[in-house]
Amino acid sequence: MGRDSAMPQEIILDLIGSSIKEDRLSPGCNGEYYLPVEETEFGPLVTTLASRKCALIGLFCAENFSAGARFTLFYVFEKKTALLVLVRPVDRVATSVARLLPSATWFERECRDGFGIEFDGAFDERRLFLHETYPEGFHPLEKTFRNAPVTLKESVNPEDEYPFRKVNGEGVYQVPVGPVHAGIIEPGHFRFSVIGEKIFNLEIRMFYKHRGIEKLAEGKTPAEVIPLAEAVSGDESVANATAYCCAVEKIAGTVVPDRAWYLRTILLELERIHSHLGDQGGMLVDIGFPLGANQFAVLREDIFRMNATLTGSRFLRGMITIGGLSHDISNEQLESIKPFLRELKKRYRVGLKIVLSTTSVLDRFSPTGVIKKSLLRPLNLTGPIARASGSRGDVRSNHPYGIYETFCPAIRTLYDGDVLARFTVKASEIMDSLDLIERLLASMPDGAVSTPPVIRDGYALSLVESARGQDLCWVWIRNGVVDRYKVRTASFCNWLAIEHAVQGEIVPDFPLINKSLNLSYAGTDL
Amino acid sequence: MVNALSCLLKPKVTSDTVVRDEEVEMMGKEIRCRIDAVFGHSLAIRELDTGSDNAAEIELNNLSNPYYDVERFGITFVASPRHADMLIVTGAVTQNMAIAARKTYDAMPSPKYVVAVGDDACTGGIVAGSYAVLGGADKILPVDMKIPGNPPTPKEILAGLLALMKKAGR
Repeated sequence: MGRDSAMPQEIILDLIGSSIKEDRLSPGCNGEYYLPVEETEFGPLVTTLASRKCALIGLFCAENFSAGARFTLFYVFEKKTALLVLVRPVDRVATSVARLLPSATWFERECRDGFGIEFDGAFDERRLFLHETYPEGFHPLEKTFRNAPVTLKESVNPEDEYPFRKVNGEGVYQVPVGPVHAGIIEPGHFRFSVIGEKIFNLEIRMFYKHRGIEKLAEGKTPAEVIPLAEAVSGDESVANATAYCCAVEKIAGTVVPDRAWYLRTILLELERIHSHLGDQGGMLVDIGFPLGANQFAVLREDIFRMNATLTGSRFLRGMITIGGLSHDISNEQLESIKPFLRELKKRYRVGLKIVLSTTSVLDRFSPTGVIKKSLLRPLNLTGPIARASGSRGDVRSNHPYGIYETFCPAIRTLYDGDVLARFTVKASEIMDSLDLIERLLASMPDGAVSTPPVIRDGYALSLVESARGQDLCWVWIRNGVVDRYKVRTASFCNWLAIEHAVQGEIVPDFPLINKSLNLSYAGTDL
Repeated sequence: MVNALSCLLKPKVTSDTVVRDEEVEMMGKEIRCRIDAVFGHSLAIRELDTGSDNAAEIELNNLSNPYYDVERFGITFVASPRHADMLIVTGAVTQNMAIAARKTYDAMPSPKYVVAVGDDACTGGIVAGSYAVLGGADKILPVDMKIPGNPPTPKEILAGLLALMKKAGR
């Protein structure tokens, strides 16, 4: 399919209609378009965008961005290959769009906690990442707050505890789970309302791991923020570091050498493979099938060890830098992984055959935890879990970065939307990633792996397809330092899918459904 | 009619376990001895994530994969703090996890050990100084051993546990 460079702009002009003059639309550094909107035209415009099937993929706030208003809200809409950012200056109060665009619910609560912006007409005004122990009126992302440890109260009165939605009725009882779970898992709270054994309603509460990543990035030099980007979520280190570095490079107009992009792509795909393998192994552990789980666990450990040999880090950390890579991987080393990958592919097929020919596995996997296609756009569900429910979206093909335009893997779509479909999509993606790495190795260019980093002031939006889906990041550099680093991982949006996927399922299937969605707590809580 | 003698003499259907990593085997044997002597044949560990980036959890989970399979050395990861001899803390302690972390520790029977795994759990690491964290695990719990790393590898975690057992045995 040929890609016309004017296409995204045409899509946007068609969306916003003739009421808004074309020259108000300004192109960003990374293919996105910014449109400053007046308060009077905001409501009708958002209604139009929602009715024209645009997805709200991000909503975040920055301070001192627009002249004449203290705060600016950025609404990022996606339609096919086009990315439109509505720039809306506000003071403390803004109208809510959550009733129209459900994905805005958490975004708005996040802006409210961080900056103290009240959303008029919001149906959920509970706090999000600031839990009960934080005092009222505390908004850490305001510039007037200088980052420093704070002392909070050590206990919470029962009447001040977080109000979960109450589900009443004959025979309905509640099962509270977490934040500390039974396995080696991250913390989060799940409140089930159950009838008999069936889940009637689930409400999730996250952000127990909120570490303040975005505030920590403020005032740091762009290079100092890379380790923070890697720490957003351990098994998405490469994806988040790439998204961040891409943004900084686009702002400065840096051209990253080809060899660096080839190697970055190999690292990105290796990360996808080890994440998917861990996820598939976890699904099999949760249904009590260690024979299959260990097949994948061994392969994953082999990849971790190869990662350490290639880069010095089992999680491929410390490789991605602004302008390329921190060090080269020699052609001899690259040559040596070819037989390893071939062998890995063979062994993966053996494991997959064991799993998919076991009836008890299929019985648990299908039709469990179905996510309806109609949920995808409203909640902005992305990644393999969306592709298992009929989505054809993938950042690598919709908004290709680096060399993905030339080396785009096939988009694997299934339609059942259950655990089995998600397992199968991930299996195909592992095979595709292995193929892609082999193709990259076969055509690896020589040359430098980095250019001297250039830092310019400006802002850019950057999207990367991590193993979990669409990772969004927006970087604003002022006076050579990072003024705002906004990161929204795929998990932030995908988490809400679980509330829908478990309805009508039995409680013992919850761990399996949870694992099949492969959600990162750290990447959500930040 | 089954011939009992031929059953005994025929080749066994099970084969020897593949040794995947010699270094781990050596360390494992020593851990096994220490656990037998100090912890009464088994060491029950409860993992507590107080704000990690999930890489340390992945490495702790890897300890159960066939390369390491630490259960054969006497180490088990248990579901409840009430069954645990040792608490492994990962990640800096966030404000939002502080209450749950204290409750988890209090629920453990004495005597108990606390091990911090990863840079963030040891000192606060990369997120030290943030409004949202209290600092390393030692800000709220008595830490007996720190295993630094970003994250530490499974072998480093095993070496750290072994060092703690040597200390505990004295």
